[in-house]
Amino acid sequence: MAKHVVCKLEELDVGKITSARIGRSPIILSKLPSGEIRAVGGRCPHQGADLSYGCISGTTASDRLNEMTFCNFGETLRCPWHGFSFSLIDGLPVVKDATQMPMKLRFYDVKVEGGDVVITT
Amino acid sequence: MPLIDTDVHESFSSLKDLVPYLQEPYRGWIATGAWRGFSQPFAYTSPGLGNRADVRSADGSASVSDYSLMRGQLIDEYDLTYAVLTGYFYPTGLKLQYGFATALAAAYNDYVAEHWLSKDDRFLGSIQINARDPEAAAREIDRMAAHPKMRQVMLPVVDDIAYGHPMFKPIFAAAERNRLNVAFHHTTFAQGPYGMGLHYMERHCLIPISLMPQIISLVCNGVFDAYPNLRFMILEGGFSWLPHVMWRMDREYRQGRIEVPWLKKLPSQHCRERLRLSTQPTEDISTDEWMKLIDLMGTDDILVFSTDYPHFDFDDPNAAIPKSLPSTTREKILWRNAAAFYELSDCKTRASEAAI
Repeated sequence: MAKHVVCKLEELDVGKITSARIGRSPIILSKLPSGEIRAVGGRCPHQGADLSYGCISGTTASDRLNEMTFCNFGETLRCPWHGFSFSLIDGLPVVKDATQMPMKLRFYDVKVEGGDVVITT
Repeated sequence: MPLIDTDVHESFSSLKDLVPYLQEPYRGWIATGAWRGFSQPFAYTSPGLGNRADVRSADGSASVSDYSLMRGQLIDEYDLTYAVLTGYFYPTGLKLQYGFATALAAAYNDYVAEHWLSKDDRFLGSIQINARDPEAAAREIDRMAAHPKMRQVMLPVVDDIAYGHPMFKPIFAAAERNRLNVAFHHTTFAQGPYGMGLHYMERHCLIPISLMPQIISLVCNGVFDAYPNLRFMILEGGFSWLPHVMWRMDREYRQGRIEVPWLKKLPSQHCRERLRLSTQPTEDISTDEWMKLIDLMGTDDILVFSTDYPHFDFDDPNAAIPKSLPSTTREKILWRNAAAFYELSDCKTRASEAAI
């Protein structure tokens, strides 16, 4: 068990990607709308893109052609290369596909201690 | 074993065959030759000029409007359990005079009901419409759906329509409320992305490329989702390209779902569940290649057999669908999948009776 202080809590915000490293491993962090901190492995599970260049977004919902609502802002990570969307709630692709190799974001165990964001590995 | 042919082209001998089914002023237009019909913008290069060269009446003349000839060369020859008539006259090809085109579609439907569907209990029909006037097309679908042999609405693939456009909603709504399938078939107007090419061979190679956009358009514009009871048939475009289209749509959906949230399933899942493709024209591939393609589609429920009689690229069921395919798969292609699609529960009974 090792603890890593990766950034200050004040560096994080909803909708914002904050980059950090654990040793040589890149990670990204963001604050969810619920206030929970999410720390994620910095490479996309699809083809390895650097997720620090991605964006935090939301999803859309619709039951009618050409009408939609935007929702869940802050809970979706989009890859900078192919635009694939991943849920920051469960780490899974927004578009589920049982026929494909499973892809899932790597989540780290993260806590806030005295204003520091600390990851335990 | 039962056998269902999902793409059989009936025709008339002359436009004037439609005169009794038309009201004025359109009756006069046809009777006097004010319109000469659709002309093909190319020369056929096959010996039978687009048809099998042996499709000839007793007097030696080429004929594609003779039921007795079709019966002898196709229905009895191959002991078809059902033959789905898909037309060869698609009024949607008219880009003006929508009222005339709509009247022609109705007249043709009435002509087919009287001169084809009534002649053989093995025939099933396709409702022809003028898709350019969707409200009128919906009324024609409602009118003809009362005919017990009409099983689908035919949407012809022309050069300027992708049927996912919201303007066509009335057509899909009418098909769904009448429990009809929707079928797509190319026409002499169908094109690839840069036209027809410079040779007939080019044009014929491009036909699948005119059909792929229809699937993509339907999926992306939510037709599969908005009309959950509708099922779709792609006719005479072959099938070996479908895995690519399924994969490509899935890949794009992973990136682009945010733009099309009305799409509730993976495109490939929609295709596997509710899209069917007729096998013709097959491509002389090996049994192993057939099975690879079916495996790539993820199901053997998609393919349905068709001959395309009387056209020159006719597929003989005894030769085109390899007998070395696994028997369950071959049966699905030759009749079971089509029987499910067209809700034909009596195929085995009919086949048994025909064998006596």
